[in-house]
Amino acid sequence: MLLKVKNLNAGYGFLNVLWDVSLNIGKGEFVALIGPNGAGKSTVMKSISGLLPPKSGTITFDGQVINNQDCAVNCRSGLSYISEELNLFTGMTILENLEMGAQMLEDKNKARENLDFVFELFPRLEERISQYAGTLSGGERKMLAIARGLMSNPTMVLVDEPSLGLAPQVTDEVFNALRLLNRQGLTILLVEQNVTKTLKFSSRAYILEKGKVVLEGPSSELITNDHVRKIYLGT
Amino acid sequence: MTQSTNENHTGLSGLLNKICLSPLGLLGIVFLFFLPLVPPFNQDYMIRWLISGAIVAAAAISFDFSAGYLGIVNFGYAAFLGLGGYTSAILSNTLGISPFITIFFGALMAATLGVLTGIVSLRLRGMFAICFTWFIGIALMGLCMKWDWLTRGPLGLQCTPFFESNSSLPNYYLILAIMLLTYLALGLMIKSNYGLAFRAIGQNMEAAMTSGVHPTKYRVINFTLSCFFAGLIGGFYAHYYGILTPELMHTQKTVEVLVIAYIGGRLSLWGGIVAAFPFIFAMELLRSSLSDLPGINLIIYGVFLIAIMVYYPGGVAFFFKNLTSRKIRRKEMQQASIAQ
Amino acid sequence: MNNSRSIKAVEWLKSSGGITVTCTILVALAVSIHKGPYVLVNTLVTGGMWALMAIGVSLLFGVMNISNFAHGEYFMIGSLTAYYIMHPLKEYLLETPNSFLAFITPVLGIAGATLAGVIAGILTDKLIFAQLRKRNREGWLLNCFLITIGLSIILINLHMLIFGNTFKGVVNYWDVPSLALGDVYVSVDRVVVFFIAMLAILFFWYLMMYTTLGKKIRAVAQDENGARMVGIPVNRVYSTTFALACGFAALAGGSLLFMFPSYPTVGIAPLYNSWFIIILVGFGNVAGAVPGGFMIALFQVVTRTYMGEGWENVIPMFLISAILIFKPYGIFETKVRSVWEQ
Ligand SMILES: Nc1ncnc2c1ncn2[C@@H]1O[C@H](COP(=O)(O)OP(=O)(O)O)[C@@H](O)[C@H]1O
Ligand SMILES: [Mg+2]
Repeated sequence: MLLKVKNLNAGYGFLNVLWDVSLNIGKGEFVALIGPNGAGKSTVMKSISGLLPPKSGTITFDGQVINNQDCAVNCRSGLSYISEELNLFTGMTILENLEMGAQMLEDKNKARENLDFVFELFPRLEERISQYAGTLSGGERKMLAIARGLMSNPTMVLVDEPSLGLAPQVTDEVFNALRLLNRQGLTILLVEQNVTKTLKFSSRAYILEKGKVVLEGPSSELITNDHVRKIYLGT
Repeated sequence: MTQSTNENHTGLSGLLNKICLSPLGLLGIVFLFFLPLVPPFNQDYMIRWLISGAIVAAAAISFDFSAGYLGIVNFGYAAFLGLGGYTSAILSNTLGISPFITIFFGALMAATLGVLTGIVSLRLRGMFAICFTWFIGIALMGLCMKWDWLTRGPLGLQCTPFFESNSSLPNYYLILAIMLLTYLALGLMIKSNYGLAFRAIGQNMEAAMTSGVHPTKYRVINFTLSCFFAGLIGGFYAHYYGILTPELMHTQKTVEVLVIAYIGGRLSLWGGIVAAFPFIFAMELLRSSLSDLPGINLIIYGVFLIAIMVYYPGGVAFFFKNLTSRKIRRKEMQQASIAQ
Repeated sequence: MNNSRSIKAVEWLKSSGGITVTCTILVALAVSIHKGPYVLVNTLVTGGMWALMAIGVSLLFGVMNISNFAHGEYFMIGSLTAYYIMHPLKEYLLETPNSFLAFITPVLGIAGATLAGVIAGILTDKLIFAQLRKRNREGWLLNCFLITIGLSIILINLHMLIFGNTFKGVVNYWDVPSLALGDVYVSVDRVVVFFIAMLAILFFWYLMMYTTLGKKIRAVAQDENGARMVGIPVNRVYSTTFALACGFAALAGGSLLFMFPSYPTVGIAPLYNSWFIIILVGFGNVAGAVPGGFMIALFQVVTRTYMGEGWENVIPMFLISAILIFKPYGIFETKVRSVWEQ
């Protein structure tokens, strides 16, 4: 197991949002976390990434407990987080954003390679290389955020709702890129509301409702599950 | 003087609650009333310390009225004190009117500047408002320095005293009355619908506006009242000390008031009183016993302010509220266990 | 292409920023013709340093959302350190003249002052603001504002307690004849101080635009969580920012020792000035601080020349208040981050 989350409880202030959430993700897997709005999916991601210290439970990444580790340290040990809000540096150009994504790499050649790689993945970014991130369109921002998250050579990425507010073609572009990355060996935990598409792309999925994991299993099984069909697919 | 809202009041405590007092608060006032009559507090220098405490307490109340509730830190607060003081002193000096009357003119003058500042700074928020009031304060102090034909500048303006007697005791009761007046007037304001509006504006101006609270009116009213009392307290300061220099308007004086207001706790008018007396007393004690180390009391001020902000941003009032809410919770838990 | 550029230039001239800059230059020229070029010299010498102070305040706000009302005290720390380096050396030089040491003394003083500022800045961050960051982010802006006030009181009174309430200054830096520019004599000290300010500003600009450190600082300023997500050690960047800002303030204090002898409240005027500048050019506008510094310096020199000592804090105050009311985002109309208004 690359990432192990055991009995995670987390929330904001006195308010608890997650109740004993447990997840297991192996190396090279493409796992989805699905649930309705407000279920606490982003909270799970924030807790794993280190932005939000959990109230209890353990999070183990690559054999190490990372419960109270700062997000920056996690990033250095190979866990990259692409948040829902994207957290881009809006006053910097695309290139500078990507440079910042790779700033922790000692090897500058590696950084160059990564740059070429993400430009291959999202050619649109290369065309706008010196445009400010604040002036990009929604789809381009998502691409930039994903690209920035990949610049540090992560072993695993946490991606939060990359399809939110995107046109269907752009969503496909992003999903295809994720699938490509997964095939090259990257472990992915993807949060999505777009259930049909997500279950098609991912290998396994967890379903989170009101802060609790209610279902888990291979995506192909979940897509035929009654509960999922009724609530998420509307059939 | 705690304002608790969720208890049903009967008899005396209900009556007291109507005027923003609690039995404990009343006890505190009685205590302050008799304090200067018992040794060792009946010595004149002790009474003067008590007066300093009461001045700062009153100032902290009217400071917190706009800083705590409306979220507008009047960083030029001392200048309003000074404006009230100078107006009152100059009027009583030139026209020969009793200072008991002129201090109200001083207060009105400060309130007028308060209205102007309130209206002019309406569009400003947060740091902008702080800077604006600060600059007004610096400018006023500069004017008092330069217009020495009127204020005698740094030489100091003589002010007629309130009382003929040499004892400080009458002065103490006067400032105690001013302090109570400030507390009751502003406390009643807070208890009324105005208080709700102030809080709403302080927390979120946009939300308050969309829910129909018109900030213009409330901001101006709040600022005017706060400045009125600043002027009144400044007037007392002038006639009590008998001499007035532009130093009174220095930012440092604002800071003294601000420290007490924040140690007392935001959003609690009474917190200022609770914090002021012990704190000023301790400061004066320190200053007189460590007179070979000038400024040590101010250093302690600074350290206190930083420590409070880092470790206990709610101040004394928050501590008390925590205590009472914990008590209530414990009581509830006991009742629950009894019910089981 | 050329045409559109000239149209833009005309547009800018018609904006409030352009009008103010043009007026400033005209006033500067008029006053130097009327009262002699020394007005201009004083403006240039102090303006550059006020700009450095304002850059520091702007930086601290932009990166950490701290409105530093203790910035003048780092100026004071700088001037105090410079005095305690330069004064003993100058005493020693009186007895044993040594031309190399005489040359190097002011350099040592100013460098020492900067170093002291850097150290003080790092300590401030580690001892106070890092603690606050760990504990409580609620009401950050107001808490920090109050903390800096506390800090200012502490530093001023510590100075008074330890070093006394006296003026500690040196008359000049280098005992060399003044430079003659036409029939105007300008002391070498002033020229050097002006160039120090310009160099420091240039250094800052290069640092922020082209080095990785500068980019990291900008990244943290733009999105703290984003910076953590790409592995930037945010706490270290914060300390660096503090070191930079306070180092600049102390550099200004050390460089201006011959004009502003060190005493406990020497930092108040520079503090006022840096806040004037920030209001004038708009909160968080680091680039605007440079013209702003010269404008404020000119304005003060002019008020002092025509109205006398003491007015230089009154008249600008009214002007700045007017700017706050009519142009709350400064004459250059920079887009302000909404945090200022919380
Ligand atoms: N910063 C926050 N402060 C307080 N509550 C929050 C915060 N962020 C999210 N919440 C609450 O936590 C719950 C879960 O939110 P989130 O994890 O964002 O859900 P999801 O991503 O599944 O839509 C929601 O009820 C939301 O209101
Ligand atoms: Mg979400």
